[in-house]
Amino acid sequence: MTSMRLQRMPLAPPRVAFALRVLSVVLAILTAALVLWGSGHNPLALGAKVISSTFGSSFGLEDLSLLFSPLIYCGLSVAVALRIGAWNIGAEGQFNFGALCATGVALFVSGPVWVILPLMGVAGMIGGALWILVPTLARAYADVSELITTLLMNFVAMLLVYWLATGPWLDPSGMALATTSRLPVSVPAFWGIVHWGLPIAILIAIALSLFVTYTRWGYEVRIAGANPGAARYAGMPVRTQLIGIMLLSGALAGLGGMMEVAGTVGRLQGGISNNYGYIGIMVAVLARAAPIGVLATAFFMAVLLNGGIVLQSQGLTTHTVLAVTGLILLYAAIGDEAAHYKILRTKAKDG
Amino acid sequence: MISTKSLSRRGFLNMGVAAGAGYLLPKTGLISPAHAATPLAPVAEEDAHIAFGHTGPTSDEGWTWAHDQGMKAVEAAFPKLRTSYVESIPYSADATRIFRQFVADDANMVFATSNYGDFLYDVANRAPDVAFYECDGRSPLENLGTFYLSHWYPSYVAGIAAGAMSPSGKLGYVASFPVPSVYSGTNAFLMGARSVNPEATLQAIVINSWFDPQAATQAGTALIDNGCDVLFGIMDEAGYLQVAEERGAKAVMWNTDLRRYGPNAYISSIIVDFKDFYVEQVRRRLAGEWTPTQDLLPFGNGVDVDAWGESVPAEVAAKADAVKASILDGSFNPFVGELKDTKGNVKVAKGATMSEQELYHWNWSIEGVSGLDS
Amino acid sequence: MRDSASVQQRLGLTPGTPPILSLKSVSKYFPGVIANESVDLDVYPGEIHALLGENGAGKSTLMNIVTGIYKMDAGELIVDGRRRDFSSPTDAIEAGIGMVHQHFKLVRAFTVAENIHLGWPETPKRISRNSLETRTAQLATDLGLAVNPKAVVADLSTGEQQRVEILRVLARDAKLLILDEPTAVLTPQEARELFTALRAFTARGNAVIFISHKLEEVLEISDRITVLRNGEKVATEWTKDCTEKSLAQLMVGREIVLTETHKKSAIRVKAAPVLSLSDVSLKGEQDTVLKNISFDLYPGEILGIAGVAGNGQRELTYVISGLSQPSSGKIVLDGEDVTRAGARALAQKGIGHIPEDRLHSGMAPTLSITDNAVLREYGAPPLSRKGWFSPRGAANLAREIASIAEVMVPDFNMPARNLSGGNQQRLVARREMRIAERILIAAYPSRGLDVGAINTMMRYFLELRDSGVAVVLISEELEELLSFSDRIAVMFHGEIMGTCPTDKADAETIGLMMGGTRQEDLP
Ligand SMILES: Nc1ncnc2c1ncn2[C@@H]1O[C@H](COP(=O)(O)OP(=O)(O)OP(=O)(O)O)[C@@H](O)[C@H]1O
Ligand SMILES: [Mg+2]
Repeated sequence: MTSMRLQRMPLAPPRVAFALRVLSVVLAILTAALVLWGSGHNPLALGAKVISSTFGSSFGLEDLSLLFSPLIYCGLSVAVALRIGAWNIGAEGQFNFGALCATGVALFVSGPVWVILPLMGVAGMIGGALWILVPTLARAYADVSELITTLLMNFVAMLLVYWLATGPWLDPSGMALATTSRLPVSVPAFWGIVHWGLPIAILIAIALSLFVTYTRWGYEVRIAGANPGAARYAGMPVRTQLIGIMLLSGALAGLGGMMEVAGTVGRLQGGISNNYGYIGIMVAVLARAAPIGVLATAFFMAVLLNGGIVLQSQGLTTHTVLAVTGLILLYAAIGDEAAHYKILRTKAKDG
Repeated sequence: MISTKSLSRRGFLNMGVAAGAGYLLPKTGLISPAHAATPLAPVAEEDAHIAFGHTGPTSDEGWTWAHDQGMKAVEAAFPKLRTSYVESIPYSADATRIFRQFVADDANMVFATSNYGDFLYDVANRAPDVAFYECDGRSPLENLGTFYLSHWYPSYVAGIAAGAMSPSGKLGYVASFPVPSVYSGTNAFLMGARSVNPEATLQAIVINSWFDPQAATQAGTALIDNGCDVLFGIMDEAGYLQVAEERGAKAVMWNTDLRRYGPNAYISSIIVDFKDFYVEQVRRRLAGEWTPTQDLLPFGNGVDVDAWGESVPAEVAAKADAVKASILDGSFNPFVGELKDTKGNVKVAKGATMSEQELYHWNWSIEGVSGLDS
Repeated sequence: MRDSASVQQRLGLTPGTPPILSLKSVSKYFPGVIANESVDLDVYPGEIHALLGENGAGKSTLMNIVTGIYKMDAGELIVDGRRRDFSSPTDAIEAGIGMVHQHFKLVRAFTVAENIHLGWPETPKRISRNSLETRTAQLATDLGLAVNPKAVVADLSTGEQQRVEILRVLARDAKLLILDEPTAVLTPQEARELFTALRAFTARGNAVIFISHKLEEVLEISDRITVLRNGEKVATEWTKDCTEKSLAQLMVGREIVLTETHKKSAIRVKAAPVLSLSDVSLKGEQDTVLKNISFDLYPGEILGIAGVAGNGQRELTYVISGLSQPSSGKIVLDGEDVTRAGARALAQKGIGHIPEDRLHSGMAPTLSITDNAVLREYGAPPLSRKGWFSPRGAANLAREIASIAEVMVPDFNMPARNLSGGNQQRLVARREMRIAERILIAAYPSRGLDVGAINTMMRYFLELRDSGVAVVLISEELEELLSFSDRIAVMFHGEIMGTCPTDKADAETIGLMMGGTRQEDLP
């Protein structure tokens, strides 16, 4: 008699992990198809529609790219903070505030584009960093958990954006509601309406991943993130690192906000962050906080969200779409965990 | 139901000519092409695809529900065409993605039932063969028209009842955003109230959403806590009516008859109806007549006050009804100066009448309104 | 193998009594490592069964299988005559098997009473703090383990924490208690108390499996001894038939030569001190943990620090290595004031530090062995140049350190926590010796090491000393101090009671000073 048993391994073999992720996504899609079929839709036609609408036209690919880009910025933001053991739940707020600061530059500073745009990028990053500053200092000096503080800052940023966009910075022309006027400069597009925010995000992800592996600072961050006690023991400036990394985390989200306002949307308005900051948490966790992994999971997430939009236009309710995307994510997470298990076959002599 | 013919006869307000130019004409006129541009080519009914993008869920029993009724009327009038809709579209780049998806799905005509600004404009700009309509829109294009309601008249009439029924003279308003539709709604409502109680004031709370029952409920509670005894608002659902019912206050609603949620509190509602407008526009699109218009559905035809609630005293109702009649027959216009803003500056001179254009773009609060001007 | 009838008789059991626990051909493989291979083991009611073996021999792994933390790859586990297959420690505890681990698993922020009741099915759903504490006190008296139910675990000494762990296990009606190196962290006094409690426990018909590297202790407490080597069982012997020497031989597989009493250091002639502490005090959260410590440390000597754990030894190592900065006083290294230099600067100036608590301060257990091995040298060439870090250089260095530390590593990317406890200690010790050009601070360096490894390490300490490095050796083993140090200082309540050359010291005077008598007051 052969019996099978499962054993949890501390590390998942990369190949198994990858295979299981793919498998779980496939299974999730099959389950989703069953659900759709059960509710009277034709899953094959819907699937074909999602694929052709997402990958089959330059429209779809452009949309996908514009969704991909902010998810990378926010995913990286959360991932970087996770590296040092901090949960940045506030990427949403930093994104908003970064967009706000960049807009301030665009609206009130005049100069040639090649000066204003970089200045907006810097303003976005400083804004994002500023928005995480208080939670950072509270964590570094008073050991106040950044979980709540970063989250609370989100609401403040959101309200600030609403207030500015409908009040002091409201488009004076009367041609647009609840938003600032169109920014006089924009991030140039390189393909259709896809702007340089995307390639820059990819470059940053690659740079961060090299940074983690190939710089001394990267090594120190790794140690400090895994065990601050050990970092202190080795004489690493743990507090400075924590502050530096958390500010970098905020800056990344803030830059994402700048790219969104100056590249994709063109105006500052409430809701511009579109939950990217929260989805970024999922992106980072699925990527196990690895910057290159963020590229993969952000892309996955972008396809998923874009697929959701296509499904909505095919008459599925938002609830069904949420259920389907949720299902796929859940399966992906289960597959991820399952990769840690090994199936053991043991010959048992009964008697 | 009014026939298309009677609709044309009674006339929509035609709001303008060339894009961007001063585009509001006086309050008369038939539907007429707003552009010199050639109409879009006709479409066979069985090939047509009409798409609707909504800000809230069609189940909201309010704004989106009313637009959804419009879509159903289109389906009934043109049974062979295809319709599709997406609910709860956020005001973010996701809106662009959804409108573009409509275009990718070969929609011939797209109705956005809320102001999506550039998110819609950018899509329309790149899809010249598709007709677009934006509710409460401000930036027309050769293939992008706008439509809205002259809701300030019914708001004024409802305000008369509210003023008469508010012992404290403190009115509350649950606002979505500080945008013209909210300014004109609050101002008109307070002006109506002041016609019976010159001391009346109005306090607004902005909740940054058109559909957020929970926030609307909280705002309603806060307003009543602040001493307001009649609530008004521009919400897509019934949230603050229930608060008013529980707390013994009164309320004026928007969109549909909601008295079942608060029979004692219910005064009236600004009733909206897009059915005729939608059917007519789709007809023009199919027939190859369509060029963009900028329409304001007039008082009494597309927007109206609902039948008065149980608790409205007969003499109050009679008084308000008389004013309504005089507005409808043109003998009375409530929007005549002198009007001052909250800082006391005279914004409309004594005796001057506000044009429909000014009413549509109203972006300041009159004296007595608080909570909107920053 | 002896026939079991005689085992039961010699244990005073009726013939035919089944073992509480029986392992048959148990094997466990990790990638690249055979942790256990066909291990057989029987444990009978009433016995204390010791498990011995070199570092990495597979002791902890075998016990983790018994308690359901790991699944075996082959073999059988029989408890009370029934074939069992635990899928979690909860299963094991239900079957009456409980384990106290090499590293405690208590929730430090909770009280003793809360820890005892945590995750225990018998804890009532609603219960007041008071009744939790009464229940705990009752359990403690019943089982003969004194604890204070109200105390917060983080405030307890290691010995007390261990008692809580044991109580936690016994409260769940364990019939078999497994202790993984329980005495490594105990003072001799605490170890005594533990043994008394264990004897009382087995007298009630229960059994204990006891893992230790301290042979004299094993000989004292156990009834039988099983020895593992490279994952395989070599023998199960009656303790009465064993000697330290025979056991050591069984473990290593050949005769081991223990270093003879060493030559004393080539006494410093006119050397200046490498390190001087004058009047160093350190304030803790509530009270002063170091009081007016002054001493000189000379190149080429081993300074032993004796004292009951918790009398300021840890704080002293922190102050010398720069992890803590003294509240007052002055520290001079080779003529340079380093009172506020910080840990990194001091490490660069050649001070190595084998910390007391390797898992929490000396390593990052979740990171790779490579990352851990290079913790001291990552910042300088060849590992780092101008801010760039060379993973390849790191891998090379890690391999070098592992090979001199005699740690077999199948995969350097594996998290360091997968190493056996002793191998972690070996790695840290070697890493620190490499950078100790002037001073090596070694806090309880032999904790968790097997006899051979202790011997090797001490030999290296002597070599370091002879090459002119000063070694500060903190230990609770008086014997170790007496045989390796040149001078011995005794700490009590954060103060140094006195310092004397080893050849003038004897166990008795040191014992008196450890109890708080100052050297000048000695009879
Ligand atoms: N989770 C794991 N993954 C990979 N290897 C492991 C794991 N756990 C233990 N090992 C390896 O198995 C072997 C046996 O380890 P174990 O911890 O059982 O030794 P031990 O006898 O308890 O040693 P020590 O006396 O040092 O505590 C070691 O080589 C160790 O590195
Ligand atoms: Mg072990």
